[in-house]
Amino acid sequence: MSHHPAPVVKPADDPAFKLPASMSALSVPLCGGGLILMIAGWAIANFMVSEKVGMSAYLAAFIYCLTLTIGCLFFVLIQHLVRAGWSTVVRRIAELVMVMIVPLAILFIPIVMSLLTGSGTLYRWDDPEYSVANHLNANVWEAKAGWLNQYWFMFRSVIYFAIWIGLAVYFYRGSTEQDETGQRSVTDRLQYWSGPAVMLFSLTTTMAAFDWVMSLAPMWFSTMFGVYLFAGSILSAHCLICLSAFLLQKKGAMRDEVTVEHYHDLGKLMFGFTLFWIYIAFSQFLLIWYGNIPEETEWFYHRQEAGWEYVSIALVVFHWIVPFMGLMSMFVRRRPAIIAFWAGYLLIMHYVDVFWMIMPEAHAAVPYSAPAATTPIAVAASVMCVVGMVGLMLGLLFRVAGGSKVVAVRDPRLAESMAFENV
Amino acid sequence: MSLAIPNGLDNTVERPGERAPLVLGDTTYHDITETVCQVAERKPSKAWVIGFLISFLVLQWFVVCILYLLYEGVGVWGNRSPVFWGWPIVNFVFWVGIGHAGTLISAILFLFRQEWRTSINRAAEAMTIFAVVCAGTFPGIHVGRAWLAFWLAPYPSLNLWMWPQFRSPLLWDVFAVSTYGTVSLLFWYMGMVPDLATFRDRSKNKWRRMAYGLLSLGWSGSSRHWMRYEKAYALLAAFAAPLVLSVHTIVSFDFAVSQVPGWHTTIFPPYFVAGAIFSGFAMVLTLMIPARSMLGLEKLITIRHMDNMCKIILATGSLVGLAYGTEFFIAWYGQVREEKFAFTNRAFGPYWWAYWTMVTCNVISPQLFWIKKFRTTPWIIVLICIFVNIGMWFERFVITVTSLSRDYLPSAWAYFEPTWVDWSMLIGSFGMFFTLFLLFCRLMPIINMAETKATLAKQIHIAHSNGEEH
Amino acid sequence: MSDNTDSNDTSMNTVSGDKKVHGTVAEFTTVDSLMDACRKVRDAGYQKTDAFTPFPVHGIDKALGIKPTILPWIVLVCGLTGTAVALTMQIWMNAIDYPYIISGKPYISLPAFIPVAFELTILFASFGTFFGMWILNGLPKFSNPVFTDPRFDRVTDDRFFLYIDAKDPKYNQAGVEKLFGEFGSDYIQSVVEDDSEKKIPGFMYKVWIAVAAVSIIPLLIGLKMRVTNSDQPRFHIFFDMDFSPSKDAQQNTTLFADTRAMRPDVPGTVARGQHDVNFRTGIDMDAMASIDGVRAERLVRMLDDDQPESASESEESAPETTKSVMDTTPWLTDNPVDVSEETLLRGKQQFGIYCSVCHGLNGGGNGLVNRRAQRILAATWVPPSKLHDASLHADVYPDGKLFSTISNGIRKMPGYSAQIKAEDRWAIVAYVRALQRSQDASIDLVPKDQLEKIKKQQAEVEAALKAEADKANAGAESAEEETDADTSDAETSEDAKDESA
Repeated sequence: MSHHPAPVVKPADDPAFKLPASMSALSVPLCGGGLILMIAGWAIANFMVSEKVGMSAYLAAFIYCLTLTIGCLFFVLIQHLVRAGWSTVVRRIAELVMVMIVPLAILFIPIVMSLLTGSGTLYRWDDPEYSVANHLNANVWEAKAGWLNQYWFMFRSVIYFAIWIGLAVYFYRGSTEQDETGQRSVTDRLQYWSGPAVMLFSLTTTMAAFDWVMSLAPMWFSTMFGVYLFAGSILSAHCLICLSAFLLQKKGAMRDEVTVEHYHDLGKLMFGFTLFWIYIAFSQFLLIWYGNIPEETEWFYHRQEAGWEYVSIALVVFHWIVPFMGLMSMFVRRRPAIIAFWAGYLLIMHYVDVFWMIMPEAHAAVPYSAPAATTPIAVAASVMCVVGMVGLMLGLLFRVAGGSKVVAVRDPRLAESMAFENV
Repeated sequence: MSLAIPNGLDNTVERPGERAPLVLGDTTYHDITETVCQVAERKPSKAWVIGFLISFLVLQWFVVCILYLLYEGVGVWGNRSPVFWGWPIVNFVFWVGIGHAGTLISAILFLFRQEWRTSINRAAEAMTIFAVVCAGTFPGIHVGRAWLAFWLAPYPSLNLWMWPQFRSPLLWDVFAVSTYGTVSLLFWYMGMVPDLATFRDRSKNKWRRMAYGLLSLGWSGSSRHWMRYEKAYALLAAFAAPLVLSVHTIVSFDFAVSQVPGWHTTIFPPYFVAGAIFSGFAMVLTLMIPARSMLGLEKLITIRHMDNMCKIILATGSLVGLAYGTEFFIAWYGQVREEKFAFTNRAFGPYWWAYWTMVTCNVISPQLFWIKKFRTTPWIIVLICIFVNIGMWFERFVITVTSLSRDYLPSAWAYFEPTWVDWSMLIGSFGMFFTLFLLFCRLMPIINMAETKATLAKQIHIAHSNGEEH
Repeated sequence: MSDNTDSNDTSMNTVSGDKKVHGTVAEFTTVDSLMDACRKVRDAGYQKTDAFTPFPVHGIDKALGIKPTILPWIVLVCGLTGTAVALTMQIWMNAIDYPYIISGKPYISLPAFIPVAFELTILFASFGTFFGMWILNGLPKFSNPVFTDPRFDRVTDDRFFLYIDAKDPKYNQAGVEKLFGEFGSDYIQSVVEDDSEKKIPGFMYKVWIAVAAVSIIPLLIGLKMRVTNSDQPRFHIFFDMDFSPSKDAQQNTTLFADTRAMRPDVPGTVARGQHDVNFRTGIDMDAMASIDGVRAERLVRMLDDDQPESASESEESAPETTKSVMDTTPWLTDNPVDVSEETLLRGKQQFGIYCSVCHGLNGGGNGLVNRRAQRILAATWVPPSKLHDASLHADVYPDGKLFSTISNGIRKMPGYSAQIKAEDRWAIVAYVRALQRSQDASIDLVPKDQLEKIKKQQAEVEAALKAEADKANAGAESAEEETDADTSDAETSEDAKDESA
């Protein structure tokens, strides 16, 4: 048995648990700058390329932030569900990210607005001419329109947000309440509800992936799609937690709490989820490629033409092979700076993944037009949009974190987590 | 050294910040050795003998059926146009699924540092291997001329002058299942070597000593050996974890790469894997709960172990339910005529009884595990687990038979009916499985003693540092 | 394997009694006391040390100063070998040595090769792990000096042992025993050489040789089979597989209830290139089914049995005078083939070949056979219908019925379904309709530009006929014989008349 001295849990008001002042100070500039950058990105794409590309870039940015947020939500739920001990020191980071689902719900409004115009700007099914222009079978389209129509879509979106906000706020409130009271019963209560919460989460995530991303190609369908989006989401959530912990430690917070063991474990999970992501992505591709049925191959076909083939291959190489090799070694996983680098790298690759999911649909409707979404200006505008939105989210996150703690300071498992060692 | 934990302690309750004990009673390292070794060392109980005789008889019947099949040809099965994948494939997928829990417990729970796995992983791994043996039998005899099954292997043949077809998922299956069987065997055996050394060192009989001596390879418990052994164990776990996922994924590819309505759907890989874990855990519990009370292992396989496994059954059962729902929804959402028909046909066609049996057993019955009382009462667990096993068999039946019996060509539709040989072989495979399992109980260490002792050591260490003893 | 420093018996520097001493071992009862002892032994400068425990003790490698193993590197190499072997094997086998296309996939189908590549990567890496670990550990090794101590049996139960090898430069038996004594160990013992019988028991050799000999027999039989010839007939285990009982079309079989070896089409199926029942019978079979289901079924079954389609089978038995079933049959009223010039030309050609011999080239019912029959006064002869007769017009005699008559025959006329393809029969029906139209049509239907030409031709023909009639009147007797001798001439002239009409 190891004979390390038992870790000392600092008092709850220790400055190591506060968000570093240098970060709090960034809150307002990040919010303002982010908002301006986001709108500028959208405007550039909207007016200089096309309305469709503008809205698609906005949706890509939104889905990127959303996957990070709900990935963190899932992280929190699953830690409670399995009564995890190791993760307590970093769980608050995920809890802070997951409450960003509230401002994200507001950022969904522009998507609703574009839907209300009924011109198919973003979702092609929203265009009443769609089925006629694409020579669809009237019966088939009538049945699909029963699901894909403005109001029913909006209603479902409201349900998803309601469930996520409910879960995020409940678990966040419970955790912060424990910061004050230190009651174990809070942990018991959160653990009790984590099971049903995970069920609700998996149902809503699957359906939201179908509605918000898959329906961009109205006739395409893949039962795996929800899992695919989830795989990217959970991977990037772990990356975000890892990178945040590293940056917070750099700025002086939670230096004694998060140890190399936690980076090691997060690194293992990142490695595992990289593998999980390629497993899901490859299975989905293989089945559609092998079956070779026209209504299914359409989606991958659009991603193999007009320059998208390079993005597709790049995803395999840079979203899987490179990080897979990079994260394989224990040497890497036990070096916080290196593992934080890979976390940042994978967060960028996750945007490429989201971009690849959403943007090809921005021009797939007009097969012979120039690939508007791959022009440098469209790419630059999309990047501005996502950087802006992430900035905005970070700004709000710092604001929330400033009024809270960055570690669940009185969690009964904090000491266990601090003493955690990889076997 | 010892740690007095009352036998009746409810170790399913865990205060946050503390960890519930996994080894109960006033148990010492030596007690663990005694508890586990007496299972193999004492005279076989009457129940064991009767169980073994019945299983062995059923196994003989299985052998007779296989010989009859080889002599007469595959026509003795109910497989007729258009259902050429009848019960043999259903049984194959069923057994492969059962075989997933062992490696999952050993590998994935190991990687996630779930210490409660230590007292059940050995039996579960053994079960994996026996289930894979049962599974492998069915495609082997389903190829028709079973004595030529070796043609599946890529060997340079002077007669054939050709190679297997690597673009076929059926060949992927050959590689996946044989790799899985091999790696599981290595993992199982490697994990057993230190315990076989315990058997060797305890045996009074010269022959026993020699046999266990050979099997334990001269294990001495040296720290250097342990260090490499643990590294190897972690590495094998790291390989077995994606392997266990890949096996049922590839089994699902057998179905999903085709264009048969109801088979060609992208969720099949994770859905099959979830189903496999689900059925595997149910089978582990079905076997371990009677074994635990008959062999006197209550202190090592506690209620907490069962509680945890029930939770996994609940989680995977719900995942399977979600996948059923997703399939139905997308069949409607996709508005492909045949796909829509395939799913309506499943639920309301001639095999509605199979479908609703499946849904009841797989989705509804595990929901009872939300209630703690059901997770902690052994006979209820066994009952629900038997339902889950039945349901998972029916799941494979529903997938295989409903889609094939009514696919694109209505003129070829037919109702599949099993023959007595189909029934005999399904039952016979259980005979083989139980025969092997009962032999294992008598001959091999049924619980991983070394790892359980390590868990106990950790428990003692924690107790010491909390100052509760000394 | 540099990190393998197990105790072994290469150099002995101490002797206890008459046996060589390999080192000294001390027994502990708890993990903590062992760990303390390990640290102290390491700090005391001993290097060739080892601890023996019943389970892996976390942190003991540090306490003893054991170096990490190189196993992961071996495994990495094995895994990569597996990937390379799998991909090379698949590409070589399926794309180079034995290439063929399957399910429209390219020879080198990388996505389809991934599963096997993955499996073999895992398999090779697992072999590397498993065998690498045993080799690095120097196992199996059945003779080990520490096993000589009976108390050591408890190392796999509940006792912990610390061992210092005699090869350690600092080793000194008394010193080590004293050190161990300080740790509070109750049991300190020298590890001596294993003096048990080193030789493997003789019967083991016999067993191995016997097993080896037996296991080689199948191989030898196989080899013999490959190199020797035999004039004996082959032994057939599965007789019906070697001699499959294939049947010819007209043979009997016991396999099917109707004893026919040749199987009819599955009811309700449509073979490639085959037309539907309506096309093949001229009957609207759906309507028929609602009137007389039994008969419709019988008719369809007869089609499936590849028998000549005989929609009129009941007609032959029914007296012609009564209202026959033929009148109630829902005949098709529209010609199912596309009536085009091409169809009509085809119909004309077929009509000329098959029908005109009786019905005449113009359908007037006076073909060569009829004329011959009239001439020889054939008693049983029924004259062929005059196709222009009003009773055969489309309003009373629908296209379908006409088609059925051609197919199945009527009165003396045989059925032609065996000779004429269904499409061609429909073409004949179309042509007959054209012929009917041609006879009763008014001249006004002819386009104006053609009218003059036709009138001119008509005048010429009429003149020619008149001249011929005059000539005939002149020598009636001789003309009659001439016509008899060369009917074709007369036919030709008649043709000319038809054409001009």
